Amino acid sequence: MNNRFIKLNLTVLVIVALCEMIGTKSFSVGIGTIVLLPMLFAVVIGILITPDVLGKKLSALKKVISREEVEMAGPFVMLALLPLGVKYGTLVGPDIVKVIQAGPALLLQELGNLGTILIALPIALLLGMKREAIGATVSICREPTLGVIGERYGIASPEGTGILGTYLVGTIFGTIFYGLLGSLSISTGLHPYALAMACGMGSGSMMTAASTSLAVAAPPEMKDTVLAYAATSNMLTGVTGLYSVVLFGLPLVNFFYKKLEPILGKRGNKDAA
Amino acid sequence: MQLKAEKLLEQLKILIIVGILILIGQRIGYGISIIEAIPGIILVIAVAMFSLIIKELTPNLKFPAFAWASLTALVLSMPFMPTADWFLGHTNNVNFLGTTTPILAFAGISVGNRIEQFKKLSWKVLIVAVMVFIGTFFGSAIIAQIILKLQGII
Repeated sequence: MNNRFIKLNLTVLVIVALCEMIGTKSFSVGIGTIVLLPMLFAVVIGILITPDVLGKKLSALKKVISREEVEMAGPFVMLALLPLGVKYGTLVGPDIVKVIQAGPALLLQELGNLGTILIALPIALLLGMKREAIGATVSICREPTLGVIGERYGIASPEGTGILGTYLVGTIFGTIFYGLLGSLSISTGLHPYALAMACGMGSGSMMTAASTSLAVAAPPEMKDTVLAYAATSNMLTGVTGLYSVVLFGLPLVNFFYKKLEPILGKRGNKDAA
Repeated sequence: MQLKAEKLLEQLKILIIVGILILIGQRIGYGISIIEAIPGIILVIAVAMFSLIIKELTPNLKFPAFAWASLTALVLSMPFMPTADWFLGHTNNVNFLGTTTPILAFAGISVGNRIEQFKKLSWKVLIVAVMVFIGTFFGSAIIAQIILKLQGII
């Protein structure tokens, strides 16, 4: 055990203890509720204490977390993700029969998650993003995708930077965004049952926000079914989301990147210059 | 082979540290007794190590250790498996949200050397993220709409 190893882990211990002490905070902002989980505080504190942020001003902090400790933290992320992977498995295993019975619609709509690539990738390229766009648009970028991208490209790679961006935005604004979209989406004319299945995106808090507001806006006799479909879909995304990213999402986003980047990428650069 | 064993040992060391972080974190955040959760965290680390070994043995599959960990836990906790009660009983003492805090602490620190690049992306990231949210939601809703119509449910 060397010094860097001890400094990094003790720092993370302090962050974890502090964040769990703060706990989950939620408050309403008129149009919705903002939910702040300990993990959000953890990532914010983690970024804040690095050499280029607060380390710039506090030299004592820079001594604890220098570029070397930052370098070391990367491989730790992949390993720290494994216990979460185990927990995902235990959430789905007991309900495996329900998952199998849930039907073709529930299964096939999971492929709709690839809609992120069709809509967001071209826009990301137009904005001048390069390999960051791969991570940012491959999926809705919750923890399982974080694991896949982290392992494939490294979390400190451009792809990793991209996914952490979408991940962070999702963690902070996801609940409020989907809380609004859930009820507003009925005006698109899509059936509430179809919209209910769309609520299960692999994040418990986002699914809850989207489906609850949808259930309130939907006809009263549909309310229970809306919530049931949403919860089942979210459970399914727990299983399929990961495989969908590995088997379809990543090949697809890389394919479209190769095709679209030469066209849209140049334009984005010219605009920026 | 020697090198592989060394690498796995190093990974085990880090996993044990992560396990300790989870135990302390969930004691503070969710009041879960550290002693009671020890068998659960040992099982979690065992499945994690198993997934790392499987990944080493199947380099051509390109299936991440994270997916192996989920799949292994899924199989162990299926209702008709003799392991289900035992496995779920213990791993229930490992809190789902509790496992997320150490990950994000490490992840936050690990992006530290790319902060300057990160800042440049900011407003673009926000726009792209919103497009991602819209894309996944309506992508799924449109497919579900078509299949439910075909099935005659709606």
